[in-house]
Order: sequence, then structure tokens, then C-alpha cells
Amino acid sequence: MNDITLLLQATGRSENHAREDLFKLVYDELRRMAAVRMAREAAGQTLQPTALVHEAWLQLVGDGNRSWENRAHFFGAAADAMRRILIDNARRKAALKHGGGQSRVLIENLEISAATPDEHILLVNEALERLEAEDPEKARIVTLKFFGGLTNEEVAENLGVGLRTVVRQWTLAKIKMFRYLRSQI
Amino acid sequence: MNTNSPLEEAICLAALEVADPAQRERFLERACAGDACLRSAVEEMLSLHQDAQKFFARGKSAVASAQMDFTPTGSEIPAAGAGSSDAVDDQIGTRLGHYKILQKMGEGGWGSVYMAEQEHPVRRQVAVKIIKPGMDSKSIIARFEAERQALALMDHPNIARVLDAGTTESGRPFFVMELVRGLRITQFCDENNFDARQRLELFIKVCHAIQHAHLKGIIHRDIKPSNILVTMIDGAAIPKVIDFGIAKAVEGRLTENPMVTACEQFVGTPAYMSPEQAEMSGFDVDTRSDIYSLGVLLYELLSGKTPFDSKVLMQSGWDEMRKTLREKEPPAPSTMITSMGPTEMRTMAGLRHAEPPKLISQLKGDLDWIVMMALEKDRNRRYQTANGFAMDVQRYLKNEPVIARPPSRIYRLQKLVKRNKVVFAAAAVVAVTLLAGFGISTWMFFREHEARREQAQLREKAERSEKRENELRQQAEAREQINQAAIFVSQEKFEDANRMLEGIKTPPPKPSFDGVSAYRSVGDWLASQGRWAESADRYLALMEIDKLDKWGAVTLDYQACGVVLVESGRREQYKQFCRSMVAGFDETSNGDAAGRILKTCLLLPPDEALMKQLKPMAAKAEDFFTGTDPKQMNGWSGIPVGLWCYRCGDYAQAAEWCRRSLDAEDKTGAQHATLRTILALCDYQTGRTNEAQLELSQTRETVAARVKDIRDRGDGAFGYWYDWQFAQILLREALGVQPAH
Repeated sequence: MNDITLLLQATGRSENHAREDLFKLVYDELRRMAAVRMAREAAGQTLQPTALVHEAWLQLVGDGNRSWENRAHFFGAAADAMRRILIDNARRKAALKHGGGQSRVLIENLEISAATPDEHILLVNEALERLEAEDPEKARIVTLKFFGGLTNEEVAENLGVGLRTVVRQWTLAKIKMFRYLRSQI
Repeated sequence: MNTNSPLEEAICLAALEVADPAQRERFLERACAGDACLRSAVEEMLSLHQDAQKFFARGKSAVASAQMDFTPTGSEIPAAGAGSSDAVDDQIGTRLGHYKILQKMGEGGWGSVYMAEQEHPVRRQVAVKIIKPGMDSKSIIARFEAERQALALMDHPNIARVLDAGTTESGRPFFVMELVRGLRITQFCDENNFDARQRLELFIKVCHAIQHAHLKGIIHRDIKPSNILVTMIDGAAIPKVIDFGIAKAVEGRLTENPMVTACEQFVGTPAYMSPEQAEMSGFDVDTRSDIYSLGVLLYELLSGKTPFDSKVLMQSGWDEMRKTLREKEPPAPSTMITSMGPTEMRTMAGLRHAEPPKLISQLKGDLDWIVMMALEKDRNRRYQTANGFAMDVQRYLKNEPVIARPPSRIYRLQKLVKRNKVVFAAAAVVAVTLLAGFGISTWMFFREHEARREQAQLREKAERSEKRENELRQQAEAREQINQAAIFVSQEKFEDANRMLEGIKTPPPKPSFDGVSAYRSVGDWLASQGRWAESADRYLALMEIDKLDKWGAVTLDYQACGVVLVESGRREQYKQFCRSMVAGFDETSNGDAAGRILKTCLLLPPDEALMKQLKPMAAKAEDFFTGTDPKQMNGWSGIPVGLWCYRCGDYAQAAEWCRRSLDAEDKTGAQHATLRTILALCDYQTGRTNEAQLELSQTRETVAARVKDIRDRGDGAFGYWYDWQFAQILLREALGVQPAH
């Protein structure tokens, strides 16, 4: 049994340190894979985060380990890690573009429809932070779906809720978040 | 963050499940029950939802295309060759069962394609397609296994064979295919400056390949230029269709929850997708979906563009895209070209070896219609088989009239009404009703009394629409069987076709052109085998279908049907058939039709009632044939009225009609044989027994010989089989008549 499997099981027993370790492990792996990919492929090559997360799973755990519970913990951690990576990445680029120092997009001056992909991601993140404070359950669904690239079925499994709940909450979350973003402009 | 009440949320979610705007409006009215505040809150949510949907769809693609330009630091990159973690490139040099991966050939929507070497049992190069991670490998392989036997049956020079499938060590599914080196068909045509004719000829080959697969029960489901590769072999362009069976294996995943996952999960290009595929109902896609995609392919080959722009479709969001595919009429190919800018137009025409005006006029008319027929939203109105499609293109190339016709204005209007009423209303009712079923919590918010009444009504509606749905499903099944029969007929597998048609209890209304022919061909074949009862059943079914068509030529079907009914010994049914036939045609102004009906009804001595019923029709036929220029008389002109006079007992007049007609040319001999038999009957009745016997002995031999020929050879060299059978029946009557003294 390898480290990750142990970690995954520990997460299942809700050991907080394990959760952090798992996040760190997945985060590092995703970054490493992305970096390798970037170094090899031609410049301007884009990455498919969903594919990356799945590959990380195969890489770290292997598909032989089919326990849904482990899978759920892993993908939960991967969604968080991917979110962090994407946001850091987008912020760094935005900072470079605006001469540095700025860590958050000024949505006051932003036309939603004219947002660049990076700004788009930052906008979603901003709204998601709000939602997290207010309705953590919905926020978790958004994180898993949006940043983790999980399907509804996977989200349902992951959170132990019904498929229908996922669909409804995701719809309502989108409405809420969009309303918030629009009210800010 | 502004929050909505649970009631507002419940109504909003329920309303979103009702796709039809009118139905949704009605739902909202009921649900909000005059509460303007509630209504406006829900409306606000709905409008936010629409924008939010777009925003998040775009966000999703932003995530997917995120450029992660990490500035690599030393510690993050492992030294080259030191156990790379890059799963994709890792494949090179590895082994998958019997296959050694050699090099990467390309990347598609589902994964990467590699060139590989098979080592066992034969050494050859193959293509291996490895599905990208994130797909459910187990069910992909299961679905592929389910179709594997059928796939193995495909053997066609223009189809790349799928050889094998399995999973990699890390659990990713892969498919092994015949290695095809070639350009995608559109690129090939452009690079070789193929003109329209060359493109059409190439396209016909593609149709034949698809037809072959359809005959084996395989639907491709993902026909598009990148799946049709063309190579030049000995100066001839050879297309190869790749990826058969793979779309089905991979796509199942998409259909599980179309409402929400669709937009994010969508793979492939929507431009080639048929409206019914876009519906994502999954279970109801048949071979005609491929016909649609072939139509898009032909559209692009001719005009350089697809009917709907792929990018626009993708950006418009899932619902909008489905709506477009389902409802929007694309411009005809020639119109598409006309709408291009001058530079684009010239380039596009240049690639087709033509000047723009020439190309446009070449497409206008037949080619436009052919393409548009394949692109019909209603699959019943498309070509029913790839072969039928190819044949129409062939007809165009040979300057023969094509089957495809521009839709008339009435047809368009009908289509609009039908689309909105039946299909959508039924679908929306089902949706609303489902909601009423499980969304009890939603309904609890409504005034209880009203809710209960509503529910009762909805249940009743749902039951009705379920019944309607069953009917529609049965019809769809019957249509499918008819199409299958048509395919068997085109392969001359009549026994199989017969079995297929036999299983259909009620023929569906308005089957396809091919389907109608199937009934006829099978009926004819059975008749040529002397299997009269079965033939009669096929023909009676055909009669049901023909009922809708008052066109004169269908009376040939009536004639054949009358003959097989008599031969199968079903007197009562024949009588009934005659009566309804006369009733159906009593207002015909077509003399030929009246003549055919008349003679068919007189095949056996009719009873008094029928004689009376036939009188006006006989008068019409007499008028018609009397007025016919003697030079225009043909072999059969004298039969209807001659036989009528005979049945009325006017033997002199009957003989006179027959003699006149014998002067006219008869290419097959069947008409003359019939006329001579009627003459012999008249002779008997007037006591000229010797003359009658002489006449009969000759005729008898000819008829017996021809009937045998038709049975043995089964071809049309001696004219219609039922004309000969007609003579045969009368001849039997004549031989049975005792001299009248």
C-alpha cells in the first residue's frame, strides 16, 4: 500500500493533517505534471485541467484502486488544488499585465462579456468566495464541478447526495453567483 | 448576496424543466397564481439563469483552455528520461497486448491516435486510438463489446476495419483500427481541385460504404470529414470511413444527464449532428441520423461550409444549439455561396475548378434539393437509405430527374404547425407531469384545492400523451421495419424482406418512398412464386398506404391486388375490395384509371350490386376509349369495355371492342392473349364453339409458357406478371364454360 492510499484512508477518518497532506501532494503533482507538459510541448499549448486531474489520479493512485471513497477524497482534493493553481496562474498573469502588485481583478471596471479567460476564472472565484461564506454546500458543488471538472454523478458520489440535488443546487448557485457579479458592476 | 425564498427557487427550477416557452408561460401563470411579486422574482431568476448559463459555459471553456505558463524551476522538472510522468508521450515505445506503439499520429476529441505495429498473428501496422482519461472505461468497453460481432461482419473496401479493443494498464480504453493514410475528404478535394462532378462521384462511394454498414446494423453516428480519409490509388480517389462503432461506445456517457452535463461534456463537432442526436435522447437514433450527417458532408463538399457554423453553434449554448438544429432551416448550398464575400466566393469556387456564377447555377435546383432532402429535420422525409441518397446523386449525374423536390409552401406550413403542436406539446406535457409527480414539495406551496384539481387534470393529460407516445413509438418501429425491408429488397433478399413486412400489424401513415416500393416488390416476388395468400396480404397493406394517393398510376397496384386476391381464392375479400375500390375512384376523371378499376372488378363475374355500382365508371371508360385516336390505341384499351360488354351479355359489342384493340401493338403479348380469351368467351356464348376452341388452344399455350417464364426467371422481360395472370384467370373461366347449347 503506498503513501497516497494511506493518506486517502486517513482522510476518510477525517484526520485533518491527512487532509492537508493530501491537498499538498495532489497540488504538487498537478503542478509538476503541468510544468513537464509545458516544457515539452510547443509554446502556447493549452492544458485540459480535467484531463490533468484524471491523469494525476492514474499517476498517483492507479485505476486499480477503485474504491469510490478514495476516489471521492482524491477528486475533492484535486478540485481544490486545481482551483489554487488556476487562480494563482491567472493572478500572476493579470499582475504582469497590470504592472504587478495587483492580486485581484477590479471587477468594477470589467464588462463581463469582454472578460478574458483568465479574468473569467477570477470572476468565478470571487463569486465563489462569497458563496462559500453564505452557502458552503452549494459552494462545494461549484468547486467540484467548475474547478475539478467532475460530472454531476461524480459530484453526487463525492458529497453523498442525490444526483437531482446536485443539478438543482448547481443551477441555483449559478444564478446566485451571477447575480452577485452583476450587482458589482 | 441577494437571496430568493424557497418558493421562488422551487418555481424557478420547475419552470426551467419546461422547455417550450408557451408551456412555461402557462406553468408560471398557474404557479404564481396572480402573485405579481412572486412572478417578477421568478422571472428575474429565469433571466439571470439564462445569462448565468452562458457565463459559466464560457467560464468552463476558460478553465479548459487555461494557459498554464509555469515558469519552470529546476526542482519541478525531472531530468529528461528520468521516469517521466507524462502519460501521453509515455505511450510511445510501450506495448499494448500485441501492439507496439510507434508514433503519435494526431489528437481528437476523445483521445490520441498512434501508429503501432501488430506483431501477432500477423506483422502489420495499425492505428491505435487511446481514449483520454476521464471517460468511464468499463462501460465504453462493454458498449464496444456489445457491438463487436456486428463490427466484425463489416467487410467493405471503403471502410477501415476496427480490429480490436481493450484497456491499457492504467485503465484507459483503446481501439485498434486498420491504418489509413489519407487526407480528410474535404481537404483532399480542395487540394486536388476536384470539380462538383468529381466530388459527387467520391461522395457516392462514401454512401455505399455507409450503406454497407447499415445493412450490417451498424450506425456510424459521427460522420464528418475527419472520419473519411481519401487516398489516391492508381489514379483513383479511394475514400475510407474510419471510427465505426467507436462513437456509440464513447457517447453513451453523454446521454446520461443531458440537461446539465451536455454543455460541458460535449465532444465532437455539432455541425454534423442530426437534430435527433442533438436531442440527446440517445435511444432513438437510427440509420437516418447518418443520412443527415452525409447531407452535411455533401453540403460542405459543394459549398465549402457546413449548413450551420460550428463555432456559432458551440457558442450559442446547448439549448440554443438544439433549437437551431431542430427548427432553423439552413440556407440551400447555392444560397450559402451567394452570401459569401467576393474573395471567399472566388477562392471557394476556384477550389472547385469553377467560376462563382457557374458553380451557383450548377447547384441551384437539383443539387440544392438533394442536399436539403438529406437535411430534413423530420427523418421520415429524408432519404431513407444511404443507397437511396447515392442513387439520387447518380440520377443527377446522369441528367435524370431526381426524387428530391423543393418543399411546397403548404408543406412548410404544415411542418411548422405539426412541429409546434404535436411534438412539443406532448413533450412539454410529459415534463410538466413528471414534475407534478416527484415535485410534490413544489406543489405543496400552491393552494391545496387548486393543486389537487390541477394534478388530476395533468394526470389525465399525461395518460393521453403517453398513449399518443406509444402510438408514435409503434409507428416509428413499423417504419424502421419497413426500411429494413427496403434494404433487404435492394439486396434481393426477398424472403427476409417478406418476413420483416409480415411482422408489421398496421402500416404507419406516410411511409417513405422506398418503403412503399418494398411492399410492392415483395408482393410481386411472392406472386411470381405462386404464394398468392402472402402476396395478397402484402398488397392489401399496400392498398392501405395507397389510399392516400389518388394518382392514376397506383391503379396498377389495384390491378395486381385484384389478381392476387382472386388467385388466393379469397372471394369474399375480393368482392369487398372491388366495392371499396369503385367507391374510392368513382369521381376519377382519369380514363386509364377508370379502365383499370373496371377490368379488375370484372375479373370474376360480378354480382348484380357490383354491376350496378360499376355502371357510371364503365360509361366513363367507354367514353374515354371511344374518343381515343385509333393510332393511340394500345393493346389493353379494348379490355375494360370489351369485358364490360361481355359481362352485360352484349357479345357482339364485346367482340367488336376486342377486335379493334387487337389491331394495336402489344409489346408483351399479354394484352392480346387477354383479348383473344374474351373473344373466345363471346364465341362460346354465341355458339361458335369451334372458333372458340381454336382461339383458346393457341392462347393457352402462350399464356402457360409465359407464366412459367415469369416464375422461373422472375424478370420483367414479358411485361407485368399480373397482366399475364389476368389472362390466365379469364382463360380458366373460358375453359370451364360449357358450349351454350
